Amino acid sequence: MSKIGQVVSTRSKGFKSAWSDNKNLIGSLFMLPAAAFLILFLVYPLGLGIWLSFTDARIGRTGVFIGLENYEWIVMDPKFHTAVFFTIFYTVVASAAKFAIGLYLAVLLNERLPFKAILRAIILIPFIVPTVLSAIAFWWIYDPQFSVVSWSLREMGWIEGNIDFLGDPWNSRWSVIFANVWRGVPFIAISLLAGLQTVPASLYEAATLDGATPWQMFVKITYPLLTPIIAVVMTFSVLFTFTDFQLIKVLTNGGPAGATELMATMSYNTAILGGRIGEGAAVSTAMVPFLLGAIMVSWFGLQRRKWQQGSSDD
Amino acid sequence: MAKKGMSRRGVLKSGLALAGASAAANLAVFSAAWAQQNAWKPEAGANLQLLRWKRFIQSEEDGFMRLVEAFTKATGVSVKVINESLDDVQPKASVAANTGQGPDMFWGLYSLPHLFPSKCLDVTDVANHLGKTYGGWVDSAKTYGMSGGKWIALPVAYNGNVINYRQSMIEKAGFKTVPGDTAGFLELMKALKAKSVPGGFALGRASGDGNAWVHWALWSHGANLVDENDKVIINSPETVKALEYTKALSETFISGTASWNDSFNNKAFLTGAVSLTNNGVSIYAAAKSGAAKGEANMKEVMDDMNHALWPVGPAGKPTEFHIAYPLMAMKYTKFPNACKAFMTFLMDAKNYEPWLDSAVAYLTHPLNAYDKAPVWGSDPKLALVRDVAKRTLTAGGRGSVGERAASALADFVMLDMVATVCTDRATIKDAISMAERQAKRIYR
Amino acid sequence: MTKNNSVSSVALEDHSEGMNYLVNLPRQTITVYIPLFLITTVLLFPFYWMTVTAIKPKAHLLDLDTHNPFWTWEPTLEHITALLFETEYPNWLWNTMFISVSATVLSLIASVFAAYAITRVRFSGANAVGGMIFLAYLVPPSILFIPLSTVVYQYGLFDTPFALILTYPTILIPFSTWLLMGYFKSIPYELEECALVDGATRWQILTRIIVPLAIPGLISASIFSLTLCWNEFIYALTFINSVENKTVPVAIVSAFTDGDQYRWGSLMAGSLVGTLPLVILYAFFVEHYVSAMTGAVKE
Repeated sequence: MSKIGQVVSTRSKGFKSAWSDNKNLIGSLFMLPAAAFLILFLVYPLGLGIWLSFTDARIGRTGVFIGLENYEWIVMDPKFHTAVFFTIFYTVVASAAKFAIGLYLAVLLNERLPFKAILRAIILIPFIVPTVLSAIAFWWIYDPQFSVVSWSLREMGWIEGNIDFLGDPWNSRWSVIFANVWRGVPFIAISLLAGLQTVPASLYEAATLDGATPWQMFVKITYPLLTPIIAVVMTFSVLFTFTDFQLIKVLTNGGPAGATELMATMSYNTAILGGRIGEGAAVSTAMVPFLLGAIMVSWFGLQRRKWQQGSSDD
Repeated sequence: MAKKGMSRRGVLKSGLALAGASAAANLAVFSAAWAQQNAWKPEAGANLQLLRWKRFIQSEEDGFMRLVEAFTKATGVSVKVINESLDDVQPKASVAANTGQGPDMFWGLYSLPHLFPSKCLDVTDVANHLGKTYGGWVDSAKTYGMSGGKWIALPVAYNGNVINYRQSMIEKAGFKTVPGDTAGFLELMKALKAKSVPGGFALGRASGDGNAWVHWALWSHGANLVDENDKVIINSPETVKALEYTKALSETFISGTASWNDSFNNKAFLTGAVSLTNNGVSIYAAAKSGAAKGEANMKEVMDDMNHALWPVGPAGKPTEFHIAYPLMAMKYTKFPNACKAFMTFLMDAKNYEPWLDSAVAYLTHPLNAYDKAPVWGSDPKLALVRDVAKRTLTAGGRGSVGERAASALADFVMLDMVATVCTDRATIKDAISMAERQAKRIYR
Repeated sequence: MTKNNSVSSVALEDHSEGMNYLVNLPRQTITVYIPLFLITTVLLFPFYWMTVTAIKPKAHLLDLDTHNPFWTWEPTLEHITALLFETEYPNWLWNTMFISVSATVLSLIASVFAAYAITRVRFSGANAVGGMIFLAYLVPPSILFIPLSTVVYQYGLFDTPFALILTYPTILIPFSTWLLMGYFKSIPYELEECALVDGATRWQILTRIIVPLAIPGLISASIFSLTLCWNEFIYALTFINSVENKTVPVAIVSAFTDGDQYRWGSLMAGSLVGTLPLVILYAFFVEHYVSAMTGAVKE
């Protein structure tokens, strides 16, 4: 607090303060660094990418404008349909699972526990390990011949033979979702834990006095108060899950035969490995409407109850 | 400077140290002489960057690096070698082609140069010189290397993808050798499965092994993606027969091959989990080096395993699909003569033969004179890969080996078609029409 | 209603205990400890697996029936020494740290300014801009990287660490801005009002008042940003060619795969060692991280 005193005493009005009254100018100046990064390295390439989706560019030569032809093609392509289906399925299921387990974990961690700090650090490990590396570890855990999970189940006599984690289409889908959930739960749990800690304990005490059961307290107090933070965290989570690339690329590369193909991996494979940049750009641009939709749903849908907190919607 | 020390240390850790030392001495003498009469004098102050696929066999890389050092000694041109895993070479080359900057030379696979033929340096003069000196190029090399009448790359080596099998296990199934016809081969696989020593081919997106066996299976039954005019002909009765065959084969596989990429069958074979698979000779090389280190199970594999060529099917002649590794220089390079000099140096007998040796038959030559190279007499189990460059069909089958064939390979059109049938995700009819639709798009 | 008797008696006697009377060990074991134990085990298992594999001798790795996969009686350091001394791993570790820290610093600076501008300066369109920043996440790196590589080349950054240092902030700024926005909002506006009345400039307010008070938020944003940078794969794969400039995730995968043989022991060792710096960082700062998130969500 002493620093504030110093600031207050030294300044006198002058040229600079007149300038600093102009909010818009100041605002723009302050936004400049962020805007610079985003415009140079995001907006411009994005425009370039969208332009590419309207051409038949291939690697090694620029393309000519062909209008909506790329889009017409992918809309009729069964592989694209499978990719869209699985991307949505993957996102919805994984996000729901991450939310449920993350919330549950946050509630657990909110209890009085010994070694809280260590526990929280440990919980974050799946989030800290680089995705590529944990994907490789999972790859081995899911190995068709040498999986430790298959081996353990065999030793315990529960199964004969090996589980085909990544070879059977639906098995591979669930395996991949599991790996994604494993990776994402810590972030959600810690964020929700932070939210839980803002709920005043007095609310719970008052409710207990009135005879509320733990479940009722959760549904009527905890959950509504958490809604704003849930909205933000789930929006981020849905975005990251929808555009997930590394995990699938390393674990299955979209196999077996396209069962776990996501739109992100499909666009990479089409553009880079297949050499058809225009088409790949069309696939990835096609992701944007879905992402917008997802943001609308999670942001606005969950925000509705903000008024319950006593503040106005912003 | 510490960095340089570390990489040199890695390079010199070669088991062939003693032989390498004297070879290096000879190389030095020869190299100086070579530099004199080489037709492509490198530009002053030239230095090159070469991006290649990461080696499958350590000794091959050691041999390659020795060659590179000899080149530097001979010409004063330093060459920095960048290693990328096989599947990453194409993206990196594509980015470089797109942006006009990057390594001077790329050493990739199949039709890589045909993805951007206009960005590749014209090396017709080098190709003609080498062809004249060494008995001519094999046909597939001309197909892979030429585009529009000019040479855009030199397929400096091939990798033979052949059947690897365990002798004791096929004997257990009642066979002395691997049958030479597709029907007999199916019987072998069935018998292996019945005796609990199954084989397995990759049904996942294994760009090397998966493509090799799938193309063999389809071509051997007369099924092709396109004809000589690049017209899509996949929808044919031959394809149906071929897919029925692969479905029957897949039922004899060990479980889980649908998730296999190129590395899984190596692992499975070396531990005895699978009795028969397809691969280059890298499994054998791994077993050999493991045995040399004293690992008993590796010695067992090494002694017991052998290689066989692919069986012939109703098509009546061999229909094998081996990997070609073309070396290309980019037009944006500042040192085109240095690149050409390097290519010539690489394929000169005094350098090429020792390198083939160190690759222990993982690499095969594309020039006829090298049929007599010493490596082919070194080990009877390796002799059969000598002719893969002559035997192989090219990417694109009967059609052109250009951009579109590369696209079809990269999109796994054939592989996915077989995989969807074998994993029961689609009927044969549906799988064919999906592949046809994709192919029509690529070949339009 | 059945709990009323115990409730009223305890509540009257001891306010500071709150609801702890409801907590007893058997109940807690079932509802809290066991689920927590199960979840933690699942979350940690792959990491444990990585560790054990990294110290197992090579011959034991694939032989599940003779050697128990969960443990090893003959731990070996061969994979780790191979990692540290036979590859350029220390280089890669340094690269990754340098790039991550630089990108984090840059994005933090940009986020601090942006968050301040949006929450305090209240220039026209501030809220709209605040919303639009999140649109940055609509564009995944997995498609931006082709046009971006052209851009990176045009600026002459290809194959240098700066290619990554300047492109990573696009991924980091949105989240950091959101975090800091929440944090700044929780700082009482009265402090600034006083300073403004006394003639302080915005800059001074920012540096002398806001930033010191928001340090937990800054730490939290830094940790998150560092994690994202460390983790990033596709830009690092595309923009960097030379071996000595690579980052850890990219280099590990290509260094230990000989074409079609994966050297699992070294791969796992590399994963382990590649994760350790971050784990240590988190161990020290996780409390800050959580409390900072708490501050951020108090909107």
